[in-house]
This record gives sequence, structure tokens and C-alpha cells, in this order.
Amino acid sequence: MKVHIKNILIWLSLCCFCSAALAEPFVQGGPIGSQTDDGFNALGPVVEQPIEFPHKTHAGNGPGQMNINCMYCHTYARRSNVSGIPRLDKCIGCHKMIESVRDKPRIKKLFEYWEKKKPIPWKKVHDLPDFVRFNHERHIQRFYFREHRPVREVCGYCHGDVGSMNTARRVKALSMGWCVSCHQKEHLENASTTKTSNGPNDCWQCHK
Amino acid sequence: MSLSNLIKNWSSLRVKRPYEGQYKDKDYKWAMVIDLDACTGCNACTTACYAENNLPVVGKEAFSKGQAMHWIRIERYWGEGDALPKFPERGAQFLPMLCQQCESAPCEVVCPVGATHHTPDGLNSQVYNRCIGSRYCSANCPYKVRYFNWWQYPERAWPNPLEQQLNPDVTVRSKGVMEKCTFCVQRLVEAKNRARTEGRKVEDGEVTTACAQACPTSAITFGNLADSKSQVAKMWERQQIDLAKDKQEKSDENMRGYRIFEDLRTYPSIVYMERIRDLQA
Repeated sequence: MKVHIKNILIWLSLCCFCSAALAEPFVQGGPIGSQTDDGFNALGPVVEQPIEFPHKTHAGNGPGQMNINCMYCHTYARRSNVSGIPRLDKCIGCHKMIESVRDKPRIKKLFEYWEKKKPIPWKKVHDLPDFVRFNHERHIQRFYFREHRPVREVCGYCHGDVGSMNTARRVKALSMGWCVSCHQKEHLENASTTKTSNGPNDCWQCHK
Repeated sequence: MSLSNLIKNWSSLRVKRPYEGQYKDKDYKWAMVIDLDACTGCNACTTACYAENNLPVVGKEAFSKGQAMHWIRIERYWGEGDALPKFPERGAQFLPMLCQQCESAPCEVVCPVGATHHTPDGLNSQVYNRCIGSRYCSANCPYKVRYFNWWQYPERAWPNPLEQQLNPDVTVRSKGVMEKCTFCVQRLVEAKNRARTEGRKVEDGEVTTACAQACPTSAITFGNLADSKSQVAKMWERQQIDLAKDKQEKSDENMRGYRIFEDLRTYPSIVYMERIRDLQA
């Protein structure tokens, strides 16, 4: 009888350990089949923007694409919590010089807003709950400025490859389990060492 | 925390806290000194805390039932009144009581869902999303500084347009969760972030809590105990108080510094300085 109980205990503990190790980190949060490229059922909805802004043309690096750094427009990402949506005069600053595309419908719409002196009512695509404290600056400072990784890769960790989209769509889960799955990884501190470090594992770093 | 993380950090998770030199090589250990001789009991710290941390004003009825949400409260004692038969009202003593951020916190061990933790910089954290409102932590807290949301306060505490004055860096808590003093963690996180971008540590006096900032007599001093040059660390040392000891051996009996309920072995992070009074005067 004693052996029996011991056996059962071993099996139970084995089952617990295996299921804990194999369990999916987070698959809820969206309709089944709306899978993101890293395996979460959490693809964001298509958000209709007032102007169908082609990120592809601006940030893409293909032929005829401008390959502009994300932070030329989202200028606060490197120095504050939020990355910021560019003001209308940022768009106009370049576009008043680009005569060749002035007749395109999207640019016409842009200049309509400019002449009416109205901001473009962009809609939020990547929205975190109010109880979460996410800091763009920390991530950009570490991966872009300290480790010199390419900017599209660094922003893409959370935003996907926006440089190949028109209007942005949320393609990552942005859930707690998803954040933690990256914070747990052993990231090399820089290219020349083998020293690694994790992201913070402390509740109050992200929860407020 | 994943299984691999748990196994990797097993020895550090199993260690008894606090131990001698725990924060010696660490960057931060937040601590406080409250000088009761300077405290006038004016309640400015409480007011500042209400403004900074989105605390709801609960109203007279709830207050009388002990449901007030003040993370820092002024306790009033009449201990010296008997010695002053002519002027008993001069015998009032004040003691600001807030979460002591114990190193060995009684609240942390009893939470059934792990909503309260110890952070690496020595704070006792409370995660509202995880809290299920069992109130066990409050029952186990010897200082009674944990406050429970018995009602859905936001709508009545901040009717439109008063919600505009809420601090966006602090969650507005809903009904059924426990809350407590955070040492203004939103300010600490911001200061640490700024320091990190500039490649340094947070300097002494760069960041302070709302209560310390509002105190008109500077009775409250806040700082980084891990930095031996900070004002708080110097005060702790001058008062010969060791974070990891439950009984302080002092060279001079007249030394004023003490920690509350040290004998319960909670190892608080707040040192109080005893009041001095000349009762003949």
C-alpha cells in the first residue's frame, strides 16, 4: 500500500511539472484563428483611420520606399513613456516640398486638414490597460542606442513589421504573459560579451 | 514566474530575509526617517497622499466605521497629559503611521494569491489586479496600514468633472481590493528611469515621497539606504539602527531613533525619532 501511494505521488508531481512546462503561455484574447506570428490568438482588429496612412511607403526599404527611421515621426519613443503620434505640421513639413504626389487622394485629404487647421483624429491601435506602465524609452535606449540593433527590428518586437503595412494593425498579443515571455529570455548585454540579463521580473515595474 | 525561472532563482527565493548586508551591493533600498519632535500633527502629509495617490474621501459615515482610506494617518496620543494637570491639551503626541515596508512582512506570507510581494529595492508591493480581497494581509498587519475598498468609491469620491484631478500614474482602485502606501512608487520608477538613461544611480534628494515633500517642518526624510552617503543612511547610522537586527544595541541610552514593534521581527524600513519635551517649562 505504501509503495502505491508513493507511486501515485510521483506520477502526480510528474504530471504537474510537465503540464506547467508545456502549457501555452497565453492563447486567449481573440477569436480562434486570429493567430499572431508568435503563436498567440490575439491578432488586433483592423482599425479604420481617417487617412489610410501608408507606413510601407515611408518606413519600408524596398524600391521607391523612403526608409525613414520610425523615430523621425514617433519622436518621443526615445525620451518618454509614450512614442507619440506626429503632429500635422510634421507631415506638411515634408509634403509641401513634394509636388509629385500632391494630387494623390490621400495627400489632398491631408492638406484639407491643414487648411482647416484641424488635427487628424488618428485612432489608437496599440492600447494598453490603464493599470500598466509601459516605457518606450527604456526599450529603445537599451536595444537601439546601446546595442545598435536595427530600428525596424527593435520597434517590431512589440509592433510587428509596421514597415510592410499600410495603416498599422496590432499583430502582437501585448498581454502580460507575452511581455513576460520576452523578459524571461536571456538577452546578451551587447554584441561583444557573453553576459546575459533578463528584463525586470518585479510586479511594480509594470503594474501601477 | 516560470518553472525554469523558479529553479534558477531557487536559492535566492528560499533565503531568510533580511540578512546582514543584504542591500550592500544593491542599487536601491528605499527607507524613511520620521522625526516625531518636528511633527506638529498638521495632517499635510495625509492631504498630499490623498492628492498624489488617488485616495477616495469616503465620507463621515464610512469613516466612523473605520473604512477611511488614508495611506498615512496621524495617530494622536495623550500620554503626557497626566504630567501637565494645568494644561492637559499640551500633552498631545502625534505619530504619522504609514506602511513600514517591512523587510520580513507579515502581510506577504499570508496572501493566498500572491498579490503582495517584496520588490528588489525593498518595497512591499501590492498588485491590485491579482488581489481577490481576502483581507488576510490586513488582519496580519501589526501596524494596521492596509486599507480595503469596501465600496465602489470612484464615482462618489470624484463626481464629474473631479476625475480630471486624478493622477494618471496611479491606478484608481475598484471595490474589493486591498491597498496600501507604496512609498510613491510611480515617482521612484520615473526617477530610476531618468537616472538610467543618463547612466547613473538616483541621487540623494532627487526623488521624494508626497508626504515628505508636503511636510512643513521636514519631519519626514526619504531616501536610498543602500547609498551610504544619503541623508537617510547617515541618520540610520547615527541612531545606530541596523536594518537586519530586531534588537538594536546602542552605545547611548538617550539616542532617539527606534523602529515600531521591532520585537515582532518585521524589520521595518521606517525609523522614528522619539519626541523630546521639557515638561517643567
